[in-house]
Amino acid sequence: MAVPKSAQSARIPSDGTHEGFLRYANFRWLKITGLFSILAIAAYLMIDVQPRHNGGSWLGYTLGTIGVLLILWLTLLGVRKRRMTRGAWSLKAWTSAHVYLGLGLIVIATLHSGFQLGWNVHTLAYVLMMIVILSGIWGISVYTTLPRIMSANRDQTTEAQMLAALRSIDRQLHDAAQPLGQHYAELVQSALDHDPFGGGIFRRLSNRYPTCKTWAAHREISRITRDRPQLDIDPLEKVDSLLERKKSLLARTRKHLQLKAMLEIWLYIHVPLTFALIAALAAHIISVFFYW
Amino acid sequence: MTFLVRQISRSADGREIIRSHSYEQGTIFVGREAACEVHLADLAVELRHASIVLLESGALEVTALGGLGFEVDGRKTTQTIIDPAAGAELRFGSHVLTISREDGNPVISAQRIEALSEVSEDRDEIGLFTLTGLLPGRRVNAWVLLLSILALFLIWPIYSIYTREETKREDIKKPEAAFHPDSFWSSGALSNAHAGLKNDCKACHVEPFVAVRDSSCITCHDDVHGHADPKRLLTANPPLDWQGKMSRQIADKFSRPAGRCVECHSEHEGAGPMEGTKQQFCSSCHSSLDTRLPDTKIANAGDFGTAHPQFQPRVRTVPGDISQSERISLDRKPVDDGGLKFPHNVHLSATNGVAKMARSMSVKYGFGAALACKDCHTKTADGVRFLPVKMETNCGMCHSLGVERIGDTVRTLRHGDPKMVVADLRAFYRAGGPFRVRTQQVIEGRRRPGDYGSSGRYYAYFGNVNYGRADSAIRAVFSRGGVCYDCHIISAPPAGSDNWGVGKVQQTLRYLEKGWFDHGAHKTETCKSCHSAAKSTLASDLILPGIKTCRNCHGGEGSRTDVPSSCAMCHSYHADDGAPWVPREKDRKKSDLYAMLPAANRR
Repeated sequence: MAVPKSAQSARIPSDGTHEGFLRYANFRWLKITGLFSILAIAAYLMIDVQPRHNGGSWLGYTLGTIGVLLILWLTLLGVRKRRMTRGAWSLKAWTSAHVYLGLGLIVIATLHSGFQLGWNVHTLAYVLMMIVILSGIWGISVYTTLPRIMSANRDQTTEAQMLAALRSIDRQLHDAAQPLGQHYAELVQSALDHDPFGGGIFRRLSNRYPTCKTWAAHREISRITRDRPQLDIDPLEKVDSLLERKKSLLARTRKHLQLKAMLEIWLYIHVPLTFALIAALAAHIISVFFYW
Repeated sequence: MTFLVRQISRSADGREIIRSHSYEQGTIFVGREAACEVHLADLAVELRHASIVLLESGALEVTALGGLGFEVDGRKTTQTIIDPAAGAELRFGSHVLTISREDGNPVISAQRIEALSEVSEDRDEIGLFTLTGLLPGRRVNAWVLLLSILALFLIWPIYSIYTREETKREDIKKPEAAFHPDSFWSSGALSNAHAGLKNDCKACHVEPFVAVRDSSCITCHDDVHGHADPKRLLTANPPLDWQGKMSRQIADKFSRPAGRCVECHSEHEGAGPMEGTKQQFCSSCHSSLDTRLPDTKIANAGDFGTAHPQFQPRVRTVPGDISQSERISLDRKPVDDGGLKFPHNVHLSATNGVAKMARSMSVKYGFGAALACKDCHTKTADGVRFLPVKMETNCGMCHSLGVERIGDTVRTLRHGDPKMVVADLRAFYRAGGPFRVRTQQVIEGRRRPGDYGSSGRYYAYFGNVNYGRADSAIRAVFSRGGVCYDCHIISAPPAGSDNWGVGKVQQTLRYLEKGWFDHGAHKTETCKSCHSAAKSTLASDLILPGIKTCRNCHGGEGSRTDVPSSCAMCHSYHADDGAPWVPREKDRKKSDLYAMLPAANRR
């Protein structure tokens, strides 16, 4: 992407503290959204719609139009985020507006519905929208809390280093197990053969690996070694301590994977359901005018 | 003989490293133990896994020593004989031993073919640390969801609309088992009255992108009265406020014409009865009707409690002639002469002779200590109002027209036929009738206290004089003090004629023509809480309660009175003679003000 030279060299004046998209411009978009929501609620309460509030009154159509335009604009973040720029319409500003206007959509769409929900395509659009918004709220909350936990868990190691350390332990295990009898050799082999990160999304998110072979091998071997005197020449003793180390390495790596999965999973809801919402919205609007 | 053993491994950059050893012996061993000639650093291999013996024939005999076997060319076995010239592949754990022959000697090449461990395999590290492999891609999901929702909720319904056969009118009310996908579009359940149409959207939504028209409603509702002359109706509409103007403009742009049935009768508002009409629907025009329709005869009304004119019953301007009548406000204290002489006060007194007589007849007629309204006034079948009082059944309980007793039958004058009365009296006297004409013959006649003497019986009283001739008796019957004269307006016959005239009595069953009043709905009240009959001395007294009395309980729609009452409780938009429309009993909510109304009023 071609960026003008002036833009490349331009620096954003900074007082040294980081201002995230949530606090952007002293919560400008939170204020704008809050004000607009209050206006919408006031209009809803003061304007008398007969027989009761619904999407078909002039207020209902107004709110509905605002809502659908907002949804389309919010979806455009997916396009916008791939084109980073600075300034008032920087990606940060855009993201800040995305978050707060997205929250404001709860008010707009709920008032548009007039609290009339049912088993139909109209409520489908509403429910999809609410799921998208809630997944977004979830996403923001994990973005603000998990990185700190993740950083503490990684303890200055990189992902590549985690894997390298595991590989190193495995090699050592393999070598150390060579003198062992077949029973123990098989235990170690099973620990080496087992994919320690496999098992699907739920295992990844829950960070529970009850069938982990490393745990099983360590349990079995330490049952023998814990009752024996510690002798440096005992190969089983060495395997035991290597398995111990592999266990703690695995625990850290798996925790890392769990946190990363949690950081990522909301997008697997947020993005596809946004498109489902746009489809439901199209059906909602067309059906209303079709059966006018 | 010599075994040639080659150990093949790979350097980090993938280069092959071959270490060769030759063993001048007849037997070598394969195992994890370092002492084995074919040493396999493989945990799936036993310490001493198998022996390889060179047979006389030059073939190799491979025998597993422990419990674990090995594979020969993919087959699992524990012992095999291999011709090195033909070659073979033996698999021990993650290692492959390739047997061949070189220069007459068997060659065994050992090579690891599987990675040391799962983690040590070259993984796609970026893949491991994302959810890519664990979940279907976001883009795929997005497309699948987008297309399925469009197909299910948009394309399928539209397709069905154009391909489905039309429902016949006679089938419309049948419960349709068939599911129509356009019901996904229904914004809410239909009211009970239209619930049968729920699977036939096209019954009302006839044309795509055209708002529901009255023609759809009229298909079934073909007997609905209009409210007023449509032109006057338009004039009467209040000017639109800014909201109304805006809505109107938008509606015009989107082909939603004004004044359609559905503007008031909105549907898809949820199961249950259609909503009763809100007061505002009426008051928006009627609260200031005279400003827009100066010639209107209808007084302004906006709220029953605060802005409603006094009732205007229709009363006769000429006694006994309803054809000459007028609606007059109760404030002007109108009278209504139906042609009857009747003092309510005398009949309802608890102390006079009437009461005494009522007590004496209580066994036969169920009277109480005095006469009550119900003793003479009978409810209509629907309980809404009262039947006309009839001489024979109501008055006749006390007021006998008997003239003489013959056997066990009392002979009476015929009510309602003055000529027959005259004829009967003449016949009575011609037959040598009593010369002592106090007509004591009617010995069963009832005592009627008061003016007519305490000792006599009550009967067709002919006056205080004894008459020897029929003419006198006839005149007496039709004159003051006579039995006809007491209740009716009598006109004297022309000279020399017997054509005595008795004015017809007219009884009004419904005074309030424009509003609906239901006596049945007011069972909790007594008659006298609204009608001050006990003070009325004349039948022409209009003892209707005014609006003030009603307001003791009733107020406008939003009022805090006992019975908040919208216009629709008494008035109907599509006005006819019947009761105004209210939701059916089984449809109404418990809190509904219509709960107060009796069954006859709930159509």
